[in-house]
Amino acid sequence: MNLFIDPSDPINQLFIMITLETVLVIVILIVAVIKIKKQPLKAKDEKPRFAKPKAEAPRRKPWRHKRGLPENVAYILLLMGTLALVTSILYSSSILAFIGLGLTFWGALLLFIRPTKYVKASLVDSTAVSSLTSLDQIITELNFKGKAVYLPPKHLKETRGGKLFIPSKKELIIPPAEEAAEEKVFLRNPKGIRLTPPGLGLANLYEKELRKNFTKVNLNYLQNNLPKLFIEDLEIAEDFEMNIEDNKIQVKITGSIYNDLCNEVRKLSNTCSSFGCPLCSSIAVALTRATGKPVLIENIEVSDDDKTIEAHYRLIEE
Amino acid sequence: MTTKPSKPTTDSSRNDTVNFPLSLWDISLWLAVTTIILLATSELLSPHYGKTGILIQKRRLRAAALAVGLLFMSTVFIRIYQIIVS
Repeated sequence: MNLFIDPSDPINQLFIMITLETVLVIVILIVAVIKIKKQPLKAKDEKPRFAKPKAEAPRRKPWRHKRGLPENVAYILLLMGTLALVTSILYSSSILAFIGLGLTFWGALLLFIRPTKYVKASLVDSTAVSSLTSLDQIITELNFKGKAVYLPPKHLKETRGGKLFIPSKKELIIPPAEEAAEEKVFLRNPKGIRLTPPGLGLANLYEKELRKNFTKVNLNYLQNNLPKLFIEDLEIAEDFEMNIEDNKIQVKITGSIYNDLCNEVRKLSNTCSSFGCPLCSSIAVALTRATGKPVLIENIEVSDDDKTIEAHYRLIEE
Repeated sequence: MTTKPSKPTTDSSRNDTVNFPLSLWDISLWLAVTTIILLATSELLSPHYGKTGILIQKRRLRAAALAVGLLFMSTVFIRIYQIIVS
């Protein structure tokens, strides 16, 4: 064959191989980006859910699974790769074998590495804000002025559960373990309300991701593993820092996906200052599980650009 | 790298047994190139650098990169073993 690139030359073979694979990586990334950009547009164009259908409108077809663009590309790559491999064996062509290997491999990889499912951050915020507003309204209505105390697992029936106690008076009160273990919302002695923390689900998710029971670890474990969990595993934040000083713990979260929710929660009178937003609350639950001590959110500071949240926690000696 | 020219299959040129045209050394080279590309992509897309906008399963990408890397290393060990034995 009289080609511009001599396929029999090993250097040329290497060049073809690298070019082909680089092109494939770029194609896969473009497909992923197109897929991401297309989805919000679909949501925008969507008609109201309960709008009356027009009389002449065609009937909707029954729902069926549609293959996405990456899936189609993957199957095409697999097919082309298999064909190239078979042809390479028949024609004893190493170039075709390389091409076939590359196409088959990247096709399989594209099927293996799918675009992750995601929801818009605003959707998550809207879902969480209403329940937090309700909590805030209840506490305001009851005129409970105390700071929320996150109760340790010994005050609970199940270790994966979590409760916080808000006393009626503006002083630090921790209910006795027997009283707190009862499945009551309103406690009489001491007077206060016992609620499920807004960050309990997130704290359980941390345990699930790390495959660890926080009641069996110590503070150093959290200090070493939460940054990786927040940044790499769950991609909640761009940066995470935890400093421990005696019974005080400072957590600095930068570029959190919950920034908008935190801004909304800060507008509520009791929530942010008392038991915090779901993110700060989840860290408090993790701390109380790891230390076995009640935890109090002392204060939460937000930077001027709303990007960094600094939460200060205190472990309470019983 | 072993290379054989592309030839159309005719009755006279076809052998009784058809062989895969790549040797272990060729596959080793291909695995090396693929590993480098996958590891570099995985590192560049790492959320550690704040790249949280590209929504693909990065853990699986890293796992695939490491798996291909291990395959390449195994071909290297086979080669070293062959050299020692010979």
